[in-house]
Amino acid sequence: MIQVESLNKRFGNIHAVRDVSLKIHPGQIFGLLGPNGAGKSTSISMMTGLIDADSGSVSLSGLKPQSKEARHKIGLIPQSIALYEELTATDNLSFFASLYDIPKNQLQSRMDWALDFVGLKDRATDRVSGFSGGMKRRLNLAASLLHDPDFIFMDEPTAGVDPQSRNKLFDNVLELKELGKTIIYTTHYMEEAQKLCDQVGIIDHGELLALGTVGELLKQHGGDTQVSISSDRGVKEFKSSDVSNDLIQALQTSDKVYDISVNSPDLEAVFLNLTGRQLRD
Amino acid sequence: MNKIVALMKKDIKLLFRDKMAVFFTFVFPLVFAFIFGSIFSGDGGGSKALKVAVVDLDQTEQSQQFVKSIEEADEFTVTLTSEEKAKDLVRRGKRVAYFILPEGFGEDYKGVFSGSPPEILVGIDPSRTAEAGYLEGSLMKLGINRFEQAFSNPAAMTEQLDASIAQIEESDDIPQEWKSLLNDYLPKMKELTELDMGSEEGFGFGDDGEANPMMPLKVTKQEEVVQRSGPKNAFSITIPQGVIWAIMGCVIGFAISLVQEKTLGTMNRLIVAPISRTQIVAGKALGCFTAQIAVVALLFLVAYFILGVRFNFPKLVLAAVASGVCFVGLMMFFASLAKTERSVAGITNAFLLMMGMVGGAMIPLFVMPGWMQAISNFSPVKWAIVAFEGAIWRNFSYTEMMTPVLILVSIGVVAFILGTRMVKLEEA
Ligand SMILES: Nc1ncnc2c1ncn2[C@@H]1O[C@H](COP(=O)(O)OP(=O)(O)OP(=O)(O)O)[C@@H](O)[C@H]1O
Ligand SMILES: [Mg+2]
Repeated sequence: MIQVESLNKRFGNIHAVRDVSLKIHPGQIFGLLGPNGAGKSTSISMMTGLIDADSGSVSLSGLKPQSKEARHKIGLIPQSIALYEELTATDNLSFFASLYDIPKNQLQSRMDWALDFVGLKDRATDRVSGFSGGMKRRLNLAASLLHDPDFIFMDEPTAGVDPQSRNKLFDNVLELKELGKTIIYTTHYMEEAQKLCDQVGIIDHGELLALGTVGELLKQHGGDTQVSISSDRGVKEFKSSDVSNDLIQALQTSDKVYDISVNSPDLEAVFLNLTGRQLRD
Repeated sequence: MNKIVALMKKDIKLLFRDKMAVFFTFVFPLVFAFIFGSIFSGDGGGSKALKVAVVDLDQTEQSQQFVKSIEEADEFTVTLTSEEKAKDLVRRGKRVAYFILPEGFGEDYKGVFSGSPPEILVGIDPSRTAEAGYLEGSLMKLGINRFEQAFSNPAAMTEQLDASIAQIEESDDIPQEWKSLLNDYLPKMKELTELDMGSEEGFGFGDDGEANPMMPLKVTKQEEVVQRSGPKNAFSITIPQGVIWAIMGCVIGFAISLVQEKTLGTMNRLIVAPISRTQIVAGKALGCFTAQIAVVALLFLVAYFILGVRFNFPKLVLAAVASGVCFVGLMMFFASLAKTERSVAGITNAFLLMMGMVGGAMIPLFVMPGWMQAISNFSPVKWAIVAFEGAIWRNFSYTEMMTPVLILVSIGVVAFILGTRMVKLEEA
C-alpha cells in the first residue's frame, strides 16, 4: 500500500506539486496522467525519496521512502534513459545489481531473468550505445527490476518508443502486475492510462484534479456521449447521457437510417472538461 | 565498502571505454614526457662524449695546445669558458665536469724532467661518480702526449734540458752527488736528442710521488658542492610534468562523469538504491584516486625501465598519494560548480591549464624566473611537481617532502569538503 498525503514541492516560483494525496492498493497499476510540466516526475521523485517534499508525507507499506528497507523495495524507472551507454547491457545490469544486497548465487539468474523479461537476451553483451531507442527503454526497465522490488515507479516508460517496443513494454507492465507488484505509471498518453491502469489520477499544474478508475472518471468528468444519426431526414447530432433511451426515441422518428455513430467520452474529454485544455498541445 | 568498490570499478571501466579520456590520461602524458624529454636531453643523454667546461687561465702555447687536444678527443665535448661560468655549469648539472688549467700550466707542461707535472684542476659533479674514473683516465691519456711532443720535438727538448741543467745548478736542496751525476748525465742526454732520438723509448725513472715530473698530469680534484637546481636526466623533469597532465586528465574525466551521472539520470538510480550519498561520493573519489595512482604507476614504470629515470620508491608513493588526495578534492570541487558536462569541462580545463602553466607543467620550475616561481606557489600543480621531483632528483629528505605533501593534502581536504557540501547529487 502506498499512501501519499498532501505532498507539496516548490521550485522557486513554480509550485510543482500541490497538496497531492493518493492511496494505491497493492497489486494495482496506478496511472498519473498529465501534460508536460504537470508535476508527474516531481511527484515520483518525492515518492521514491529522490527529493524531499516541502511538506506532506509518503509511506510505502509504512516505510519512509528514504529508509534503507524501503529502498530495497523501490524500483525506479527514470524518465531519462539512465544507463551507461559505453557499457554493455550485462555490465550495466551487474553494476546496478551490485548496489543491492542480492545474494551472489542469485545474481546471475536475476540478470538473466531481467534481460529475458524485456526481450534483450540476445543483446546482452552489446554496448548500450548501439541500441535502438526502444531497446534502451526496455533495458532501462530491466535495470530497475534486478532486486525484485515491490513498488515499481515508471516515469513515462514509453517516451520515444516504436510501436513494437511499446507493446512489449505494455506486456511487461501487465506481467509485473500479475507478479503482484504495485505500479505507479506516469504518462501523457491517455490511451496508455486507459489501457493499463486500474486507477488514474489526472494531474495538471501540480494539482491532482481527479482520481478514480477509468470508468469512474469518464462517468464523472467525461460528459455526455456524442450520438450522430444520419437518415433520410438528414444528419441528427446530439449529446446523450442515456444513450440507449435517446437512441430508441431518435430512431422512432426516422424512416430510413443510413448510419449511426456513438462516441463515448475518453480521458482526453475528461481532461478537457477538467482544464478546458487538450491533454496534448 | 563492496558497493564503493563497485562504483569505482564502474567508473574505471567507463574511463577505459572512453577513447579520448584514455588518450589524454594515459597516452598523451607519455608522449609529452617522451618528446620533451628527448628534446631537452640534448645534454648528457645518448652520446658517449662527456660534456665538460674548460678554463684556460694560463693562456700559453702549451695550455692552448692542451685545450685543443681535449677538444679533439672523442671522450669530451668542450665548452671553453671562464672559471666562474664553468663552475656554475657544473653546479647546475649542465656539465659533468670542469677542467681548469691554472697559470704556470704551460711551464710545467714543458718540464718533462724537472719541476712538477702540470696541474689541472678538475671539478666533477659528485653525482656522476660513474663517469669520474673514465674522465680522469681520458685526461691522463691526453697528458701523456706531452712526453711524445717533447721527444718528437728535439729543439724543444734541447731547450728543456738546458733549462733543467740551469735549474739543477741553482737549486741548493739537491745533494751534491746527485748534482754532479745529473750534470754529467743531462748534457749527454742533450747530445742524444740532438741525434734525433725516437720518442717511444721508455724512461726508467719516475716511479711514484706527487711531484714526479714524469707523471703526465697532476689532477687536483676540487670538491664541487652541487647545489642542484636541475636534474641530469631530462626525463626526470618531463615525467613529473607528464604525470601532471595525466592527473589533469583524470580530474577532468571524473568531474565530467560526476556531472554526467546527473544529466543522464544514472545518479537517480544511485540515490534510490540502498547506498548512502557518502558512499556515492566515496565511490567517485576512490575511482578518481585509483585512476591517478594507475597513471602515476604507468608513467613511472616507463620512466624507470625505458627512460632510465631513478627515484626513491617510498617517497614516490608519498607524492602520488598526496597529489591523489589533492586532485580528488579539486575534482569534487569542480564537479560541484557546474551543472552540465560542457561547463564542468570548461571550468576544470581553464583552471587546471592555468595552474599547470604557472605550476611548472609546461616550463620546468627550476628554469622559471623568480617572479614566476613566486606565483607558482599558489598552484597545486607546483606542489605536486615538487613532491614528485623530491622523489626523483631533488633528493628530498622526508622532512623536506612534508612541505609539498602537507600543502597538497590540505588543498585536497578543503576542496573535497567544499565540493561535497556544495554538490547536489539529485537532478541537475
Ligand atoms: N529541479 C527543478 N528545478 C526547478 N524547477 C523544476 C525542477 N524540476 C521540475 N521543475 C518544474 O516543476 C514543474 C513540474 O515538473 P515535472 O518534471 O514534475 O513535470 P512532468 O509532469 O514530469 O513533465 P514531463 O511530462 O515533461 O516530464 C515544471 O514546471 C518544471 O519546470
Ligand atoms: Mg516528467
